[in-house]
Amino acid sequence: MKFNTRYFRTIGALTSAYTRRFFRDKTGLFFTFLFPLLFLFIFGYLNSGNTSLNFDVAVINSSDSAFAEQFEKQLRENDTFTVSDAATTFDEAKERMGRSELDTIIELPAGFGDINEKGQPSGSIVVYYAEASPQSGQTVAAVMEQALDGINTELGQPTPPLTVEQKPTSVSGLSAFDYVFSGLLGFTVLSLGIFGLANQFPAEKKTGALRRLRASPISAAQLVFANMLYYMLIGIISLVLMVLVALYVFDFNMRGDWFQLGVVAIISIILMFGFGLAIGGWAKNETQSAALTQIVALPMMFLSGIFFPRFLMPDWLQSVTAFLPLTPVIDGMRMIMTEAKTLIDIAPQLGLIAIWIIVIYAIAIRVFRWD
Amino acid sequence: MSNIITVKNLTKKYGDKTTVKGISFTVKEGEVFGILGPNGAGKTTTLEMIEALRPIDGGSVILDGLDVQKKPSEVKKIIGIQLQSTAFFDKLTLKEQLRMFNSLYDSQSDPDVLLAEVQLTEKSKSYVENLSGGQRQRFSIAAALVNQPRVLFLDEPTTGLDPQARRNLWELIQQIKEKGITVVLTTHYMDEAELLCDRIAIMDNGKIMTINTPENLVKELISRGFKKKQRVEQANLEDVFIDLTGKDLRD
Repeated sequence: MKFNTRYFRTIGALTSAYTRRFFRDKTGLFFTFLFPLLFLFIFGYLNSGNTSLNFDVAVINSSDSAFAEQFEKQLRENDTFTVSDAATTFDEAKERMGRSELDTIIELPAGFGDINEKGQPSGSIVVYYAEASPQSGQTVAAVMEQALDGINTELGQPTPPLTVEQKPTSVSGLSAFDYVFSGLLGFTVLSLGIFGLANQFPAEKKTGALRRLRASPISAAQLVFANMLYYMLIGIISLVLMVLVALYVFDFNMRGDWFQLGVVAIISIILMFGFGLAIGGWAKNETQSAALTQIVALPMMFLSGIFFPRFLMPDWLQSVTAFLPLTPVIDGMRMIMTEAKTLIDIAPQLGLIAIWIIVIYAIAIRVFRWD
Repeated sequence: MSNIITVKNLTKKYGDKTTVKGISFTVKEGEVFGILGPNGAGKTTTLEMIEALRPIDGGSVILDGLDVQKKPSEVKKIIGIQLQSTAFFDKLTLKEQLRMFNSLYDSQSDPDVLLAEVQLTEKSKSYVENLSGGQRQRFSIAAALVNQPRVLFLDEPTTGLDPQARRNLWELIQQIKEKGITVVLTTHYMDEAELLCDRIAIMDNGKIMTINTPENLVKELISRGFKKKQRVEQANLEDVFIDLTGKDLRD
């Protein structure tokens, strides 16, 4: 086997043929690009608390002034807020905010509402919000300011005695959308890689198109590389579309490095393509591949954290599902996107992906059949 | 004429069943060689072993000096293959397909010239799925010619075609022969074999019963005392059909 320019030109020509066909197939285009976007919209709206006008807040009142007590009472009567009494201390409230149960924490610090030297109530309210969702913090603070402005005007002071402070809080948890988004990206990579090739190869075996290619001097490796490039191309287009929607529709807050996310995405596509290759390469027809695809894809779909978080699973299930191929993909992407982790930080995830790549490609090479 | 293909003791086994039972024959350079036989005789299997598409279980095939078992990809570079079920990618125009095949073979054939040779110039921007049966067969021959092959293999090229399309394909095969390309074909039609083939091998049950020119085969049979029921007719039903519907190609 000679790896000269001719070798790669053949791969390129085949990739371009596949890509051209793909963009002419309207049904295929719809399912490949719009289907994940549809999912994104559905899950995005289900999980973005920011779109609702009602905020879940905790009120931590550390002041013993009568004014503060009165103010808290007004907050509870305000329709914009749902005051949760589940958390009584600041730390508890912060934990709940980390789990996205609360949007903000409103703190009335000790001394808030105390009468100052001019005989008027003064002090500052602190609005704590999760770094990941500054919108809720800003909105809550704005509502607070409005309420205080009324009192300030009545008091008629040149410098308003009552003010609002905003404090971003880094919480260990994630916003609901952030969690769902990395899962949806993982879902796209999974379905594109597995379903794509697992359907395509058996169909080409049935029509004989694969056989016709085999009659030419092309090698199996060239065929696989050409397909891998083709799936990588449409995979990247699909992921970019999803990221654009997340950014502009759901105000997704990217905290990590785009380039490193891209690296993880490409490695993940290679991994999932391996599963499609093994199934499609082995299957003689679509019936075989459809059955096998379900067996392989369903556990990953439900247990790797796409639709519900793995941390809600019982411990034993968490430790088993940690080794599913899709789990490090979703975890890796999420850690980069929401925790600003680097490729070095997610080395364990990348390592697990690498092991799966070796395993699945070794299987794929063994079971591949031209017809 | 030298031999371009030498087949020796070629054998194919599927489990306990031997479908090709140690057959030997040679194909001369520039001839049209026909393999005839009923379904299941082993024609397609034989062809596919020669084409390096199916593993050889026993014996050997030498094609233009190359051992097919040892150098399958070298062999594939110098042969053209038209498979029984013509299969091409959908949603690619004929011209794009030929360009793709050009790069698979690393050849530089002009797609327009190839399409003109098989009378598909006006279809160059159509997809294969929109071609008629005859057009499809012609296109698959065009695709088999991109690498300017030394040998062209045609597996039942006229099966399922109407009489006009068959005649048209016969002309095309004769033109290919005139260019000096060796043609190996399988067929179920005796008239086709008689008209096109220089020599014929008749296969049954994985064995070659006989190999000779069509004329000699007929002479042999007569010399063994065979007598056909005498029915001298000046025309047959196909002649009537062609007379009424004309020779022009319908697609």
